[in-house]
Amino acid sequence: MKRLSDPAVKQSLATVLQVLMLCLVWLLASRLSHAYVPEIPAGVLGMFLVLAALALGWLPLAWCKSGARWLLAEMLLFFIPATVAVVQYPQLMGSIGLRIVLVILLSTVLVMTVTSLVVDAGYKFEIMLKRRKRQHGVL
Amino acid sequence: MENLLAFGCLVLTLVLYWLAKKLYRRTGNWWTAPLLAVPLLVIGAVVVGHIPYHTYFQDTHWLSWLLGPATVAFAIPIYEQRQVIRKHALSLSCGVLVAMPVAVMSSVWLARAFGLSELLQKSLAPRSISTPFAMATASSIGAPPDLTAVFVVITGVAGMLLGELMLMLLPLRSRLAKGALLGAAAHGAGTAKANELGAEEGVVASLTMMLGGIATVFAAPLIAWFV
Repeated sequence: MKRLSDPAVKQSLATVLQVLMLCLVWLLASRLSHAYVPEIPAGVLGMFLVLAALALGWLPLAWCKSGARWLLAEMLLFFIPATVAVVQYPQLMGSIGLRIVLVILLSTVLVMTVTSLVVDAGYKFEIMLKRRKRQHGVL
Repeated sequence: MENLLAFGCLVLTLVLYWLAKKLYRRTGNWWTAPLLAVPLLVIGAVVVGHIPYHTYFQDTHWLSWLLGPATVAFAIPIYEQRQVIRKHALSLSCGVLVAMPVAVMSSVWLARAFGLSELLQKSLAPRSISTPFAMATASSIGAPPDLTAVFVVITGVAGMLLGELMLMLLPLRSRLAKGALLGAAAHGAGTAKANELGAEEGVVASLTMMLGGIATVFAAPLIAWFV
């Protein structure tokens, strides 16, 4: 039996508590979202609440970091049940399914191409701006 | 009996997830990637076992529930990367503001061109962002969120397969562009790939993914109007 003072046990206990805290924030955010801002999904509202708390210094980063890391690292597990719902749509087998995969492949290629070329251009522009600023500094 | 079966489904999902993760860490083959292998295996088990979906979902919905807190958790990496956001604000916002409309519009237009129903067009629209954001967007534009989750997973697998090829074909100079390519087109799967390329690519990919997700959620009324 490991002791509670064992650093590894302490760390996992902290992670569990932090995950519970983030769950509470989500519950609070869904109440708020239902009551006041139904346009904003509860998760996104909760995210902004935590972001604000961090920025204002009300919530130390160390109090939520390992819990957040765990939730994000295991996120795949959380959306598996939703993907199993595909068994309810037998009509997606065959030709329709094939067309869906084609849409996704083509659109993915398009997104990759356009995004990366635009960001590359933006980056060059950023460097140009920085260079200009530096020259002004010298003059 | 049904309760026992429902509990068995939860255990099966957890065990398969754990095994696939372990196997992928050891072999590194793309077809053992948990993103592809776990849904396929679980769906296979549900189909072979003739398990009704509501029985499967009875206990596993607790896993789905955790997507909410996971969305909240995105605040932490965003906060940690605030310096990078400030430094590359221009490139990042260009990337997000271009990637999201291209992803949504090309999905809808292609779906329309291939003669897919309006419901499928709607469910495909938010497919390129991270699952919790995509499912939130789906429910606000009137698409079934579970269908969108399936398309998000297919997108992730597509991104894993196409990412390397596109990086080879496109004449990209900056690490920023490489990261944005992966994060914008293939959410979490792309971010994992970007982390393999380098730390900067990884950070940019995850930022593009997170900011893109948030932007799409807020653009939901616009998307609903467009579809």
